[in-house]
Amino acid sequence: MSLFKARDWWSTIIGEKEEFDQGCLCVADVDNSGSGQDKVIVGSYKGYLRIFNPHPVKPGDEVQPEDLLLEVQLREPVLQVEVGKFVSGTEGLHLAVLHCRKLCVYAVSGTQGNVEHGNQYQIKLMYEHNLQRTACNMTYGPFGGVKGRDLICIQSMDGMLMLFEQESYAFGRFLPGFLLPGPLAYSSRTDSFITVSSCQQVESYKYQVLAFATDADERQDTEQQKLSSGKRLAVDWVLNIGEQALDICVVSFNQGVSSVFVLGERNFFCLKDNGQIRFMKKLDYSPSCFIPYCSVQEGTINTLIANHSKMLNVYQDVTLKWATQLPCIPVSVKVANFQDLKGVIVTLSDDGHLQCSYLGTDPSLFQAPKVDSREINYEEMNAEMKELQKIIREATKTQDVLPESEKQRDVTVTAEVSPNLDEESQAIDSEVKAGAVPSVTVKVTIQSRVTAQKPSLAVCVQAPLAVTCDQFVFGDLEPDSSETVVLSVFLRENCCPSELEGTCMVSYNIPTGIPRVAQCNFSLPLKLICFPTQPSKAANHKLTIDTNKPPISFVTIFPDFVDPSEGDQANVLGFEFLTGSKTTLLASKTSQRYRIQSDQLEDLWLVTKELIHRLQVHFKKQNCKDFACTFSGSIPLQEYFELIDRHFELRLNAERFQELLSERAVQFRAIERRLLTRFKDKTPAPLQHLDTLLEGTFREVIALADAAEENQASMFQAFAKLKSATHLVITLISLWQKLSTDQVAILEATFLPLAEDTQELGWEETVDAAISYLLRTCLSKSSKEQALTLSSQLSMPKDTSRLKKNITLFCDRLAKGGRLSLGTDSVTQQAAVMPGGCATIPESDLEERTIIPGSTAMFSSNGQITKQKSKP
Amino acid sequence: APALRPSRPRRGPAAPRQHQRGCPRSAPGLARLQRIGRRGGPGRSCCGAPAGDMGLEPLFQAWSYFRRRKFRECADVCSQLLERPPGEQVAGAGPRREAAAAWNLKTRALTEMVYVDEIDMDQEGIAEMILDENAIAQVARPGTSLKLPGTSQGGGPSPAVRPVTQSGRPITGFVRPSTQSGRPSTMEQAIRTPRTALTARPITSASGGYGRLGTASMLTNPDGPFINLSRLNLTKYAQKPKLAKALFEYIFHHENDVKNALDLAALATEHAQFKDWWWKVQIGKCYYRLGLYREAEKQFKSALKQQDMVDTILYLAKVYLRLDQPVTALNLFKQGLDRFPGEVTLICGIARIYEEMNNISSAAEYYKDVLKQDNTHVEAIACIGSNHFYSDQPEIALRFYRRLLQMGVYNCQLFNNLGLCCFYAQQYDMTLSSFERALFLAENEEETADVWYNLGHVAVGIGDLNLAYQCFKLTLVNNNDYAEAYNNLAVLEMRKGHTEQARALLQTASSLAPHMYEPHFNVAILSEKVGDLQRSYTAAQKSEEAFPGHVDTQQLIKQLKEHFAML
Repeated sequence: MSLFKARDWWSTIIGEKEEFDQGCLCVADVDNSGSGQDKVIVGSYKGYLRIFNPHPVKPGDEVQPEDLLLEVQLREPVLQVEVGKFVSGTEGLHLAVLHCRKLCVYAVSGTQGNVEHGNQYQIKLMYEHNLQRTACNMTYGPFGGVKGRDLICIQSMDGMLMLFEQESYAFGRFLPGFLLPGPLAYSSRTDSFITVSSCQQVESYKYQVLAFATDADERQDTEQQKLSSGKRLAVDWVLNIGEQALDICVVSFNQGVSSVFVLGERNFFCLKDNGQIRFMKKLDYSPSCFIPYCSVQEGTINTLIANHSKMLNVYQDVTLKWATQLPCIPVSVKVANFQDLKGVIVTLSDDGHLQCSYLGTDPSLFQAPKVDSREINYEEMNAEMKELQKIIREATKTQDVLPESEKQRDVTVTAEVSPNLDEESQAIDSEVKAGAVPSVTVKVTIQSRVTAQKPSLAVCVQAPLAVTCDQFVFGDLEPDSSETVVLSVFLRENCCPSELEGTCMVSYNIPTGIPRVAQCNFSLPLKLICFPTQPSKAANHKLTIDTNKPPISFVTIFPDFVDPSEGDQANVLGFEFLTGSKTTLLASKTSQRYRIQSDQLEDLWLVTKELIHRLQVHFKKQNCKDFACTFSGSIPLQEYFELIDRHFELRLNAERFQELLSERAVQFRAIERRLLTRFKDKTPAPLQHLDTLLEGTFREVIALADAAEENQASMFQAFAKLKSATHLVITLISLWQKLSTDQVAILEATFLPLAEDTQELGWEETVDAAISYLLRTCLSKSSKEQALTLSSQLSMPKDTSRLKKNITLFCDRLAKGGRLSLGTDSVTQQAAVMPGGCATIPESDLEERTIIPGSTAMFSSNGQITKQKSKP
Repeated sequence: APALRPSRPRRGPAAPRQHQRGCPRSAPGLARLQRIGRRGGPGRSCCGAPAGDMGLEPLFQAWSYFRRRKFRECADVCSQLLERPPGEQVAGAGPRREAAAAWNLKTRALTEMVYVDEIDMDQEGIAEMILDENAIAQVARPGTSLKLPGTSQGGGPSPAVRPVTQSGRPITGFVRPSTQSGRPSTMEQAIRTPRTALTARPITSASGGYGRLGTASMLTNPDGPFINLSRLNLTKYAQKPKLAKALFEYIFHHENDVKNALDLAALATEHAQFKDWWWKVQIGKCYYRLGLYREAEKQFKSALKQQDMVDTILYLAKVYLRLDQPVTALNLFKQGLDRFPGEVTLICGIARIYEEMNNISSAAEYYKDVLKQDNTHVEAIACIGSNHFYSDQPEIALRFYRRLLQMGVYNCQLFNNLGLCCFYAQQYDMTLSSFERALFLAENEEETADVWYNLGHVAVGIGDLNLAYQCFKLTLVNNNDYAEAYNNLAVLEMRKGHTEQARALLQTASSLAPHMYEPHFNVAILSEKVGDLQRSYTAAQKSEEAFPGHVDTQQLIKQLKEHFAML
């Protein structure tokens, strides 16, 4: 990248589809005109030889026909052209042309015509040598120190140096250890040939040594002999440069100091005569060719290096002096003197772009292409802008607002649970040990009034229940169309569910791309998880529910469980859950009471719920509005606490497993690290049973993980039981205190805050926090209790005593007439007891306002704020 | 690839800060120029006439192609040559030297096609960082380690002015492989470190990256690999140095099979009687990739004893940097400069180390030295430019970036930087057109996001808050991991009085970029305003952790403490 471009002085494109390489360009006064004016000689792999004499009228002109002095087609590809004193008896310059199997030397002469375009040039073959081997490249010079003439050395593709003393063949020598030819140069100061071998070494061979070595031609029969002949050919010096070279040049500008320049693939070296590095430069581009051309400053040498990024860099030793852009990638670069212009850079690219250029200082700045710009029509743009802003405003306005109203449901989803169990059970992969696991069919229908894109239905039931298929994806729904799917629900895991309900949820996009959701719930029959059995008289846990109506026969309200043959007087009913436990339901013949009894507290829940539900349905049918159930016994808190303890113990176990696991993992990593150092060590040291230790630790980790998983499974069961029991406790409390629906909702939110409990956020601490909050707000006895701040972080408690104490206290307070409410009365109460110096947080008021939309409440709370603000 | 150091810019100057009490915005980010590793030559060129219509020797033709970096053609001609004598693929086995030569040439051509200078490759994966056994001291003394960015000794700009990377280093002007990832101190932090949309996961191990570079070669050979490494008799090849070197480079660069490469190199260096420095460097390279830094150091040192080479010095310095000994690396570079005065790569290496050690002024000095040797050095120009920008001299930065433009660097990042410089240098006429060009040139959404982000700053600067809001929104549309944009958007929301939205945005920002102090500080201010002193205090503490010298944070903390004392 550079500010500057090589200024085009003269350029042309040679031939069509011809190929050129490094040796194809030569610059010299080949016709011995004596004017010191160089000609450009170009050979091509197509066999054309051309000589140019560039002399544009003004820089950058088109090529004049007379610039091309000569063009001949030789029969063979031209690999290299060189100009030197190749003919004996004369010191005139002649042209040597290297073909694959031939070396020709020509004399070039010109006859002056009357006018410029009348000049005639021709070449005359002086002599030629046919080569035994395929040639690769050549070099020339006064080998052996001869004066006034140049000898030629040709390197063949198989590594033989063939030397020609002008018209006669002198000798040939194989280079030792040869594989592929490298660049070749002759250093006249040391009288040696310098090349870069396939071993990535710069090697120098003395001409003397070459001349006296065994003649290769006589002993080239086998590889072995060749190698032995090679051995006798001693190398003068070797320098390992660690890469292949592109070119070598030997120059000496200052008297007495000659340098060998080697252009490697990645570095650029300057070597002394004895093969030591004078300097080197790491190139951060791929060079293509180079030429050291002169010495401007004493002790330094200037070099031109062209690269594959179409740049030509001028270096003074290693300092970049100039960088200029070229129109193409050159394969060869030379410096020539023309007419009145000295030091013209001649470059040739591999597709025949020949250019003579100079380094102009007027910068050719990079012109960034124009961004395509439209004619600006302000009115249109204004209109468009307004339109867009309108859209943006609309989008931002409706973004956070809830969908308009429930009435205009675009898509409705309904679920219908079939009244009977499936005749053939659909249960799959059930872990329940009982013989046959029943299943019940649920039919889900989606009805759409508008186009719903990509609707997908998810059906979920709480584990341990499971569905046969929980995900359905449909194609786009047309307006007023519907989709129906059928699935079955069954008990999968071997424990009792805490609720018999499920949810269907449909998500879809309306045509404008806004995602929407529709959902519905369904409840499952009790028969899914239990079947009638023989009632048992004795049980650990008993509950009695009082009603204000005479008892109803179980035949009426539990027709699906009572065998009709038993007559209508059946007042005892036994349930056996699929998991194996039993529950018995008794109806008092005389009083208005029902008794539920079981060995497990949690098993009471589903039956109790079912009983109350069916009684309510039954009386509703009879238009009896004042039906009510009550519970007067004591809440079975002790049994409930046992379940809590069991669950908590498992959580503690889980925590312990986690700690142990992380300890073992650390230990494992430590051993790994030690082993790694052992293996890295150069001198093998005994492992000292580290490997045994590693394996042992690994086993421990796996065993711990297994145990943790097992613990997790039992924790899941414990939580399911705890949930059942909690539901039961909630129901009992609400029956006991005759709580309203709102209060029951608060109670449920307090006791069942989580769908799942995890190690980080468990049931115990959440419930504890919720109860403490209620105790401090609506159930508080004194203002002193309210002032206590809540800890912001929920963390696992050390034991459950606090929770138990709080639950007991909670029941006490309720018994003493506490009212559950989150209403504003508590807020006002709270605000009143706030110490005067501390202002309420306005933000929390905002929240309160949004939660409770009651207008009176609003008023009172607003009044509170204004009062507060006026205080300080 | 363009000439010289082709370059990718980096994220540009970030936001101007509001200096009234309250919500600073993230600093604007200058885009980092990036370097493209030097790759093999151009692909198949159109003018490759089939070999030998004029009777050129095929081997010569291949050799010529190789010299002109037409590797594809070269490999094709070599394949034809190798197919000629059936069943004689094993190089050097038969009497046919030509087959060996063609084999060697093809090996080299295939290597060059995928060659990337090993010095430029530097990726550190989690495995390397965590299982690092080379650390000498857990807590290094200041100024001797790259792990602790430390306080700037060279009077570098504070993070209030210049954005910092995850590890707390100021952002440089040029993307290099090692500047992209910070060095997390623990496994947990490494895993939790947020990633951009482009790299969803941290690099787990360095070998992954090398492998991917290597797979490019598989596409070129539909018939399967050229050399079947598993059937190779390495001992035999190790005794033929001319074949072995090419074979080694092929295994190392093309196949990325470090283990086999190391085996070959070990055998070869033994065969060379440990006198060939090149093999030692190669063994060192293998050790480096295997993470055996101490062993690599030994090999490189031994190679340097035999022959001074620039590459060896660079490799050795790389080892020292990986061992976290920047001072040793600096000394090594300086010794190297005595031997090879004016070597650009060495000076540049020094500058980079100073920059990473937060010694910005020294780094700038050395970058200037680089320009004295090579005034087309894009990295140096870009780094000096960004230094000037962040030290509040946008006019001078503008001149450096303009120079890059004149030199022919033409990409989104550069125009992005130019636009920002123009804006801060009050040349408003050029600002928008520069950004327009940047958007026009953006190659991916990340770049587009950078430009929109900076446009947002401009909009804030001219007071058009609606435009600013939309610019930041567009930033997030293009790159939804842009923490700075979240932060700035939050500031705008706060001005509108949408406290909750602002808080949510700030939370996103701080979870995306925990190293930025602005979101924490803004949360602190916001919470303090609504009276949530506890939250304000925790946020302020986080802010102080991210930027200990921030005066506003300190004041806020002091004020909060007084408040608590009063209660």
